[in-house]
Amino acid sequence: MADKLSWTDLRHALALRAGVSEKKVGAFLSAFQDQLIEVLKTDKQVKINGLGTFKVQAVAPRKSVNVNTGEEIIIEGYNKLVFAPEAGVKELVEKQPKEIDPLKKLGAQAEEIVDILGDLGQSPKEEVKEPEPEPVVIPEPVVIPEPVKEPEPEPIVIPEPVKEPEPEPVVIPEPVVMPEPVVEPEPKKKYHFVRDTLICVVILLMLLLAGYFFLRHRLGDILQNIMQPSDTEVVADTTTQAVVETEEAVEVTEPAPENMIPEGEISQEQILAEFLEASGELSPAENKYPDLITTEPMHEASRLAWMAKRFYGAKIYWPYLYDANRDVISNPHNIEVGTPIRVPKLTKLQLDTTNAETMATIESLREEALRSGE
Amino acid sequence: MVADKSGLSKKETEQLMTTMNAIIRESLMDGKSVQMQGLGALEIKERPARAIVHPRTGERNIVPSKNQLVFRPAGTIKDEFKKL
Repeated sequence: MADKLSWTDLRHALALRAGVSEKKVGAFLSAFQDQLIEVLKTDKQVKINGLGTFKVQAVAPRKSVNVNTGEEIIIEGYNKLVFAPEAGVKELVEKQPKEIDPLKKLGAQAEEIVDILGDLGQSPKEEVKEPEPEPVVIPEPVVIPEPVKEPEPEPIVIPEPVKEPEPEPVVIPEPVVMPEPVVEPEPKKKYHFVRDTLICVVILLMLLLAGYFFLRHRLGDILQNIMQPSDTEVVADTTTQAVVETEEAVEVTEPAPENMIPEGEISQEQILAEFLEASGELSPAENKYPDLITTEPMHEASRLAWMAKRFYGAKIYWPYLYDANRDVISNPHNIEVGTPIRVPKLTKLQLDTTNAETMATIESLREEALRSGE
Repeated sequence: MVADKSGLSKKETEQLMTTMNAIIRESLMDGKSVQMQGLGALEIKERPARAIVHPRTGERNIVPSKNQLVFRPAGTIKDEFKKL
């Protein structure tokens, strides 16, 4: 290989350059080599001026694991021969541009590709043969059995007739001249047809998947909607009980919902009515927000604004949360952890940030909330 | 010491040493690897560019590719020194 300088090459070059007979150079080289190894063995280090340093380096024993059995084994320490180039040499080497090589390779590759492309363009045989494996290989892993069964046999069936007509007109010059132009385009069309159907099937599947996920998402929403009444039930029960037990219902509602389990089979409307009755006197907020999305205890490090973002999609709606929970919130900046926060359902109008009136109410609620916190 | 073994004069040996080193360096510059019989090979390897992240500042940087002179000891000599 041209990119190597062998021992003999070195000897030739040395003899030429130094003007010494090759015999002498050979003696010198072998003596040099022996000397190097000898000194390395005794001193562990040999410095060669103008080149670098050879060193014997110890590799410490280390633990390892037998890959097959999982046993722990100890790899014994050993010595290795290393070479550290001299600073000047190192710099020279580092600067040396080596990019020329990959460029050459790229060029060669490009030429090869051009050649291959040229071959393909010249012989239609290969062009037609190539697609054969493609449709067979691709559909199997990509698409799910059901729809694929149809296209799968097709590509296999089609190529067979393709092979037959080809050699006939091209290799064996049989009397018929017609088939050549007629038969060749046909398989291509069929191949295109197969590919098109495949694409259609894939797209259909993707649509189905998307639809499935969409439905599931929507189902979750619907389920949540169904679940809502039970949430209000919890609140309602606790509040009604609270009213019976103590007059200060507000304070009791705080810890209650965590422990309470909905009891009784009272109709929803009844509960709602009772609920409204019970809470109506205490805070007018419930009248404003008849429907609740949920009631959530205040988390540590949570904020009304974050809850607003979670439930309504934007932080700016947080004053509504304050408004709906005035009875339990004294300072919106410092809500006690565990305080049950009612999350009311907001109407479209209440969430319409383009509506000036809505924005005005939010703003006034916000100011109110901030004032209460002072 | 090399002079003693090879039976050459000290002057000759010195001259040979320097020219040998020069030749080795030049051929390395040409991108050749230098095979030294019974010793190993000196060759240039390209260390590809790699991305690094500064551990303290989280800065991302690219270390450009560079060439490195490496020595590959021959099998025989490797074994010989292992047992040392």
